[in-house]
Amino acid sequence: MKALKLDPRTKLFMIFAVSFIVMVNAVTPLEWAVRIAVTAIPILLLAAEGRYASAIRFTVCYGAALALMRFWLSAESTGVFSAILVGYCGIVVQFMPAMIMAWYVIRTTKIGEFMSAMQKMHIPDGISISLAVVMRFFPTIKEEYAYINDAMRMRGISFGGGRYTKMIEYRLVPLMFSCLNIGEELSAAAVTRGLGAPVKRTGTVQLRIGAADIAVTGFFAASVMLFVFAKYIR
Amino acid sequence: MNDNKLKAKDFITIGIFTALIFVVEFACGMLGFIHPYIVASFVVLIPLVGSIPMMLFYTKIEKFGMLTIMSVLIAIIMFITGMGWLGAPLIILSGLIADLIAKKGGYKRFKLTAISHGVFCLWICANYFPVVVTAESYRKGLIEGGYSAEYCDALFRAINSKTIAVLLILCFVFGVIGAFVGKAVVRKHFEKAGIV
Repeated sequence: MKALKLDPRTKLFMIFAVSFIVMVNAVTPLEWAVRIAVTAIPILLLAAEGRYASAIRFTVCYGAALALMRFWLSAESTGVFSAILVGYCGIVVQFMPAMIMAWYVIRTTKIGEFMSAMQKMHIPDGISISLAVVMRFFPTIKEEYAYINDAMRMRGISFGGGRYTKMIEYRLVPLMFSCLNIGEELSAAAVTRGLGAPVKRTGTVQLRIGAADIAVTGFFAASVMLFVFAKYIR
Repeated sequence: MNDNKLKAKDFITIGIFTALIFVVEFACGMLGFIHPYIVASFVVLIPLVGSIPMMLFYTKIEKFGMLTIMSVLIAIIMFITGMGWLGAPLIILSGLIADLIAKKGGYKRFKLTAISHGVFCLWICANYFPVVVTAESYRKGLIEGGYSAEYCDALFRAINSKTIAVLLILCFVFGVIGAFVGKAVVRKHFEKAGIV
């Protein structure tokens, strides 16, 4: 099966549409339906990319939280356990759709594509370069943090044990060290490739809006409009 | 090389530190779901912890615009992670003012840097704005969305139009205190190692 290729601009629009929809609290069944639909799309897209493991993981998480919220938790529930449960469901239901979307976009967009899309939209270089670095950096930070965590555990400095300030210091400072070093290398590499040169950059990636892009954009635009209509006008 | 235009290297630095700040914010933000009072205590938590990367970032700033761009990025990320658009202009505004203050000191005088960090930290308060401005509908939405009434009551006891002023001041004060903490940490680790 040929992987579905979407234009980065379409992906950006999807992110904005999803974060708009999840931001507003859904009340009526129609609103919930729209919300679940916009969550299902990125999951399907992940599956289409061949990332079945992530797709299944997200589906299970989201489904469980949704079910808990629907059938168990209500305005009357009190106590510590249900507070934590509310917390968990809150995170998943409120932030998961946007997170899945962001995950999908980061996983499937090459930096080159992203940059050329930003250039086509006439976003200032400063913002697009910084944003590209942020995007590229999240996985790196996660990786580095895992190494540091391992090293600290070996030394017996772990969460819950002893002083909190030490705990933060011993994790954040090494993390910053490694991020700075990676940053130096990254900027050397970027400058070598002519980033920041005073000319218009050309790219090997040709972006084109295809039928799939139009379909996806249309779907999200429609769901945003439906949502706004159901929420405010009705 | 004393022109005031930002270069690719600066943009990359901004990107790295924005990612770091966001990780700190996100880690603290997850705690907020345990109890709403923790949501209110972000104004203390984030400036103190976030000050360590921020102070290192301040040592890298030499030109105008870096803080402003950072605040724009934070605004974009906050929007994407579902904090709403109400806060975005305030985040950018606080970044711009912080930038102007730090510029006055040539990005070198620590007193102005500390104040500028205090102002910059006000972006955290911007995230409370949806709660304050749209209190009624926000509360209704939360309860219907499945949050317990207990959580909502506590949230609105902690954050409302009266306490927002206190929170803003606290945020600024702890931003300034955080600047000293961050400075100490940076000196302890980075200056000795010769990185800065």
